[in-house]
Amino acid sequence: MEEELMRQSMLILILGMGLVTFLPRFIPMAFLSRWVFPEKLKAGLNYFPVAILSAIVFPTFFTDGSQVEIQSQYLLAALPVFLLAWKVKSLWGSVLLGMAVYWLLGFVL
Amino acid sequence: MDTNGFKDGVKGALPIVLGYLPVGITFGILARKAGLTSFEVGLMSLFVYAGASQFLAIEMISKGIPNFSIILATFFINLRHILMSSNLSVYLQNVRIPTLGLLSAQMTDESYAVAISKLPWMKNRPHYLLGLQIISQLAWVGGSVVGALFSSLATSTGWGLPFALPALFICLLVLQIKNAHHFWVMVIAGISCVFFKWALPGNWYILLTALFASGMGMMIERVWRKNS
Repeated sequence: MEEELMRQSMLILILGMGLVTFLPRFIPMAFLSRWVFPEKLKAGLNYFPVAILSAIVFPTFFTDGSQVEIQSQYLLAALPVFLLAWKVKSLWGSVLLGMAVYWLLGFVL
Repeated sequence: MDTNGFKDGVKGALPIVLGYLPVGITFGILARKAGLTSFEVGLMSLFVYAGASQFLAIEMISKGIPNFSIILATFFINLRHILMSSNLSVYLQNVRIPTLGLLSAQMTDESYAVAISKLPWMKNRPHYLLGLQIISQLAWVGGSVVGALFSSLATSTGWGLPFALPALFICLLVLQIKNAHHFWVMVIAGISCVFFKWALPGNWYILLTALFASGMGMMIERVWRKNS
């Protein structure tokens, strides 16, 4: 029974996520083909991805739950990933390098 | 001679496929560990088809965060697609609504980036976009299902797997840094999110940081423009 509820909840989640990812993709393409965005809104949305990704990335290094605490293994593994991502811009390369450095640091720290 | 552009689209998708396959496999593995079935993994990659949101969702699922918050976060992460979709719409004016439905559902940052590099030529060639995006999504769905089916081969703590997500997000973040303004927004967001997380309950810090830091970005832009 609990398992069934879990699967149901997962299906609702997937459909909900599907809907909210579809609408921002579909509505402009379908209806706003001749509408020019206000410059202010455009400028704001310009910084949105950087801001939201930063909010996802940085707490990993500097917080533990709601406590402010440096996570040295995460932080040290992050530095080479930042450099590689900056120079090579490779998603998969960054993921592999990050995992390797993190794994090796596990033996040292 | 390829007249409608479908084959060119398929060819254009190859670099995207190289990027999506391994990340899709990683997603499949981590999603299984967060408690999704292989079927649900495939379903999510098919219907949601948004890398950052899907990774964030399984992170939030494993922390027991309720569905509503996950859907809200997904919505805000993908708001950026409004601009890309508007941009492409200008070049797809004679395309029927059902076709636009498919084209828009399969639009990603990567397919958008490849498509706009072909812009004058791409105009009113929806088959190019169709070929580009069908192959790209196939790689994403296929990769995640393969990862899900073979997830038992990877252990959750070995091989640095806990760092797969942080590394991916670092790279996605760095790819968004296109000028000095973006860099300073990252610094401001990085500092303020730690403060907001400490000061506020739950995951409100993500939304608050996004609004605060992008607002600061607009201010920086205005001040710098005045001084130059």
